[in-house]
Amino acid sequence: MSNTAFGILKSGYVARDTFVHRLDGRTKFLFFLWISIFNYIFYDLYVTITSFAVVMILAFAARIQKFVATALAIIVLPILLLGVGIIAGPFGFAANKTAIVSTQLFGFTIGLYLEGLVYASVWTSRLAVTITAALLAYVTTHPSDFAAVMLKSRVPYKFAYAFLATIQLIPILTNEISTIYQAQVSRGLNVQAKLIDRFKSIIVLMIPLTLGAINQTQIRAIALESRGFSAPVKKVMLRDPTLKGSDYAVILIMVLMTCVFVYLIWTRGLVPFMVGIEYVRPGG
Amino acid sequence: MTTQTKSTGPTTVERPAGFAILQIVLIPVIAALNYVTGVIINILKLPLFMDTWATMFGTVVAGVWVGAAGGFLYNIIMAFTLWGLPAWVWGFINIYIAIITWVFWRTGWVTVKSPAKLVAAGIIVGVTNVLPVTIISWGVFGLMPTYAGTAWIYAAVLASTGDTLSASVVSSIIAEIPDKLISLILAAVVASRMPARFTLRPPKA
Repeated sequence: MSNTAFGILKSGYVARDTFVHRLDGRTKFLFFLWISIFNYIFYDLYVTITSFAVVMILAFAARIQKFVATALAIIVLPILLLGVGIIAGPFGFAANKTAIVSTQLFGFTIGLYLEGLVYASVWTSRLAVTITAALLAYVTTHPSDFAAVMLKSRVPYKFAYAFLATIQLIPILTNEISTIYQAQVSRGLNVQAKLIDRFKSIIVLMIPLTLGAINQTQIRAIALESRGFSAPVKKVMLRDPTLKGSDYAVILIMVLMTCVFVYLIWTRGLVPFMVGIEYVRPGG
Repeated sequence: MTTQTKSTGPTTVERPAGFAILQIVLIPVIAALNYVTGVIINILKLPLFMDTWATMFGTVVAGVWVGAAGGFLYNIIMAFTLWGLPAWVWGFINIYIAIITWVFWRTGWVTVKSPAKLVAAGIIVGVTNVLPVTIISWGVFGLMPTYAGTAWIYAAVLASTGDTLSASVVSSIIAEIPDKLISLILAAVVASRMPARFTLRPPKA
């Protein structure tokens, strides 16, 4: 996962001129929270698949579908395959009753069960929706807007600094570990060695990386102090994001859809559209 | 007899004035180190997560709140970028890790000078961590198998008990104990190699 994660975190903002990019960061963040929460409330594959279709359409509209597809293939697909193979398979998931396909092998019944398949699909599609919505907000918002949005949302500026500094530090430290790794390999580090030796290799890679990072911490602290980071004055921003007509339109759609969802829960419960599939609690 | 003349060069600042700002700057470093460890684990092809070792390290070298904040921030970043919103709750694991590491550090167990105590502390951290991991796995992943390395254990326990909770707990125990043990050892070793001039704790009054 890390290489993909690094690729996404390294590139961070993807500059495009699309409808999604022009939306305010707060609207995108609100959409991310809203769709994630409702996906975890409903236990209905139709709802999660529809939500997934919506976020994927937005990803295509923002022209970040490649990022999203890579992240989903590496994070969600393995969970889906494990879930379907084990939960929907012949391993005794308690809710399994309806066999979709089954065969006898050496006296054992090997089959794929509807209840387990729906359970695994619902949980993994929930993850897929929330990850896609997160990437939509993150990749289409300029880092400077991130800072401005955080400060405007009354997030303490020290937290905003820590958040943005982490995003900046990840590519820097990843490049440094690449340099340290190459240096150690040239000095005889064997990454194909036995498991115990590979564990020992962590130490020779982590000590120079960590000490270098701590040294930079001191320099960064001096730089921040010299720029008045701790000064007891009101901070000003270079960018001043404002909500536009399109933002209000998206917020209005979310409000209307919230009313629809509340109505559905009130009248049809948490499984409004799937027929013949009962709600299965985790562990229940 | 020689006379010493005072140099009149530009003023240079070699240390920040306050430890508070140093600790704030350390928080993103801890979060980034937690992340970068994942890259190293990928390179070395090790069957571990190791994404809490920097939380432990931060707690040992700069205090419990720095470690907890750095660890929590790591999970916030990952939740808002790649893992999806519900994954932010993993941040509570990092807070728990910071607190229990601090307790062991205060009692003198997190030190390379007494390896037996260090190993015992690592095992205790791993075992006790299973409870919050299971709670989060229940709420976010529906107690489904999420890690290929322990999926066969999950499948075996599920086949024998029919219970996803038992399967999740057993596979968590198998994954957590070596992961937290090696993370704590790494944190203690790296902290022991840190030069005194990089001190990140305020001087005692």
